[in-house]
Amino acid sequence: MNNTLTIEAMHSPEFLERLLRVCRHRGFAIVTINATTKQQVTHIELTVSSDREIALLTKQLDKVIGILKVTLSASNEDIKASA
Amino acid sequence: MNGANFVVHALKEQNVTQVFGYPGGAIMPLYDALFDGGVDHLLCRHEQGAAMAAIGYARSTGKVGVCIATSGPGATNLITGLADALLDSVPVVAITGQVPTHLIGTDAFQEVDVLGLSLACTKHSFMVETAEQLGPIIEQAFEIATSGRPGPVLIDIPKDIQVGPSIAYALAQLAETQQPLNQAIVTEAKSLINGAQKPLLYVGGGVGMAKAVPALRTFIEQTQIPSVCTLKAIGCIEHDSPYFMGMVGMHGSKASNLAIQECDLLIAVGARFDDRVTGKLDEFAPHAKVIHLDIDAAEIDKLRQVTISMTDDLKQVLPAISVKPSIEQWQQHISEMKVTHANRYDHPGEPIFAPALLRQLAETMPADTVICSDVGQHQMWVAQHMFVDRPENHISSSGLGTMGFGVPAAVGAQVARPNDTVIAVSGDGSFMMNIQELGTIKRKQLPIKILLIDNQRLGMVRQWQELFFNGRFSETILTDNPDFVTLASAFDIPGETIVVKSQIDDALQRLLNSDGPYLLHVSISEEENVWPLVPPGAANDQMMESVG
Repeated sequence: MNNTLTIEAMHSPEFLERLLRVCRHRGFAIVTINATTKQQVTHIELTVSSDREIALLTKQLDKVIGILKVTLSASNEDIKASA
Repeated sequence: MNGANFVVHALKEQNVTQVFGYPGGAIMPLYDALFDGGVDHLLCRHEQGAAMAAIGYARSTGKVGVCIATSGPGATNLITGLADALLDSVPVVAITGQVPTHLIGTDAFQEVDVLGLSLACTKHSFMVETAEQLGPIIEQAFEIATSGRPGPVLIDIPKDIQVGPSIAYALAQLAETQQPLNQAIVTEAKSLINGAQKPLLYVGGGVGMAKAVPALRTFIEQTQIPSVCTLKAIGCIEHDSPYFMGMVGMHGSKASNLAIQECDLLIAVGARFDDRVTGKLDEFAPHAKVIHLDIDAAEIDKLRQVTISMTDDLKQVLPAISVKPSIEQWQQHISEMKVTHANRYDHPGEPIFAPALLRQLAETMPADTVICSDVGQHQMWVAQHMFVDRPENHISSSGLGTMGFGVPAAVGAQVARPNDTVIAVSGDGSFMMNIQELGTIKRKQLPIKILLIDNQRLGMVRQWQELFFNGRFSETILTDNPDFVTLASAFDIPGETIVVKSQIDDALQRLLNSDGPYLLHVSISEEENVWPLVPPGAANDQMMESVG
């Protein structure tokens, strides 16, 4: 099951490490990732793949200090439909 | 005032009076500032000991524990303690020195990427990059360590920031905000409780962390709902509360585990459905609807799908959902199970039976004694057979199961509560893992009572090898242990060895009445196992029990 997340976070040098570690540790493989930083805010589009419920990841990401917003922007079906 | 002086000043602003640590090159400016800075520092004899002493300090008081180490090996030695604090949600702030900023990334002497190492074992971590950041970062670290679900926070401070000029910083006045409860969920919770025939409280460590013990006890008094607790929640409920059945899970009481399997409503309070509690998850509380109360939204539906949940402050939630159900038949059944499956202390022969010894110690020790257990069979016997009436008085490495935790945790607890008795209960395997902390006890003449239960084995692993690995005792036989009483005496700690039941009474009195530290070394049979035991992969009602 693929899910695409939109994440906004305060910029910090290690932020991407934090994000990727949480994804891996919680059982979500990165399919695609795109990150841009402007004016100390990092904007990330992230597609992950896992058999686990996406809420298990989004709830953990919500707890990461510095993350301002996590939005589920597309689920598997949406991704296929737009492909 | 340089950066290091500023750190000490900022610690005092956070009401820190005691820190634990070990000096080294990259943290020397901070140690210079601590020399006469007005914050007491306790030198532990290994950074892991310092981290665990900070945990013991925090858990025995509810305050933040602070530990300090140098860069490189000093910082890596903290890691196990930080992981322990993360798994048990303990508010700890760790400060590490780092090589000067211009040397970071050059593989400098004693340089390691501490921020990178910290990501998996802290709630959050900081690298201070400029003097301006020092004040805000220290303030944020304490706020993060204590807010919501507490946890460890690391601050890595390069040496040039410590010796450079500081920048004044005024503490922000953070206002606590409390959201009103969702009344629709409150109503639903009360309806579920009111309609339940067999409700059960499953109480976890979050209750103590939320300082919600009084609220929980009032809830139990009002509702008379039966209860069980996790290892970390021991002490939250009075041990003689009429429908309290003790610990649940792998080595929980039989009554607790049977009640879980029978209940029709499980109210999880500050608990997280840990695998050591649930056994086979699919068969845990199979007939129960679940009300889950926990400050951490990530715990909701993580392992068990719940009927309703609330992530508000337990002190606010518990009074709001208090309603007394009509459950006389269930209460009667619980009472009968408690009697039927009560612990037994009759044990044949002269050799010492550790559960009976620990029960006797619990009945003998002064009020408000702090018990710090290590990890292994003795840890489970403490949980099963001793009793305390405050969660701050039972300190055990619950989530990480860190052998070597007991003695340094007792150091932290004794420093925090100098007027209370502190007992470290250890096993011969665990005791050797942080044996250097006897030097810390000697240095400060901390009057810690050490009860060392010695079966010349890594007992819990041996038990599993006996039960699940065909008795192939791979690397668990410790008949070459040192003479522990002689070892303690090298640190000016008096002690004695006992081997038979008739020696117990007098030896416990000497242990408890000693003015300074004391080691009571208790020799027991290697064949004593911890019962009951829910075997791996089994449901909680499939307990293995002693056949004796």
